[in-house]
Amino acid sequence: MQEVPAQVPAMIEWIQNSAFGTGIRESTWTFPVVETTHVLSLAVSVGLLIWFDLRLLGWGMKHQPISRIHKQIMPYVVAGFFIEVVTGFLLFWAEAEKCYLSVFFRAKVLFLFLAAFNAIIFEFRTKKTIGNWDKFPVPPARARMAGWLSIVSWSAVIVAGRATAYNLF
Amino acid sequence: MYYLLPFFKWTDRTWLAETMRGSRLYFPIVETFHLLALTLLFGAILMLNLRLCRLVMKDLPVQQVARDLSPWLLWSLAIILVSGFMLFSSEAMKCYASVPFQAKMLFLFTAMVYHFTIYRRVTNTDRELKPAWGATVAVISVVLWLGVGLAGRGIGFL
Repeated sequence: MQEVPAQVPAMIEWIQNSAFGTGIRESTWTFPVVETTHVLSLAVSVGLLIWFDLRLLGWGMKHQPISRIHKQIMPYVVAGFFIEVVTGFLLFWAEAEKCYLSVFFRAKVLFLFLAAFNAIIFEFRTKKTIGNWDKFPVPPARARMAGWLSIVSWSAVIVAGRATAYNLF
Repeated sequence: MYYLLPFFKWTDRTWLAETMRGSRLYFPIVETFHLLALTLLFGAILMLNLRLCRLVMKDLPVQQVARDLSPWLLWSLAIILVSGFMLFSSEAMKCYASVPFQAKMLFLFTAMVYHFTIYRRVTNTDRELKPAWGATVAVISVVLWLGVGLAGRGIGFL
């Protein structure tokens, strides 16, 4: 069993030392497979989502109504995101202590909340008026803002997530 | 691979390699750009392939979608190749001995050749392919690029 630093709460310690978490952490194949699935599903969901964001900015696919791209892309984005969440929880389970102590992991969670907040605002407020600007090559400021926030927060999630795995500090 | 050894040895001693090894922050920083560009590239490829499978933007010609995506695709590929070479140079000798690295280069080479020949011909014409053919072309593309990513992730693990 690993030495657990004093500042880790009991719950994190318990997760870290659970049989399941230890099993993933000390496995030969499970951890790499889960981690690879996490990264590749990320490329699917964020990779596609960015294209919707670029449409919101008026930088790509201007000929397509925004609502249509939204409708067509989101199922894949959500499916990829679902796999990310599941594999992400498994990775956290295996390395709870490392994650808890990592400043990058904390930043990642923060940016995930920002991304979620942005998505909720867009879905439940901004999108209400989509009928008025659906076919605009460049939609109004509020929608462009949502596109920017999404690109920035998801890029930050990727950067912070990758940095969590390095032992920089 | 043996006949390529001089190339790996040469890369390992270049100015770039020495610089990359100069700080332990350089590798993570360059890799971050590598990953972000990869996400963009994979997204663009996926989008075009979904169109080939007639799952998105059915009423838009494939050629139009390809034209919309192509500048992003080429720029992200350029960033990936440059940052990739920087990462490679910093650990060229490790890569020489790495089976996943060899697999990755094989996938990358095949994927790029495929992309700029067959794939380009299919996506750069106003003729619509039969659905079955479009799907086949798309699946091969996804498999090749996924192979690059999978083997690439393997370099760090194996």
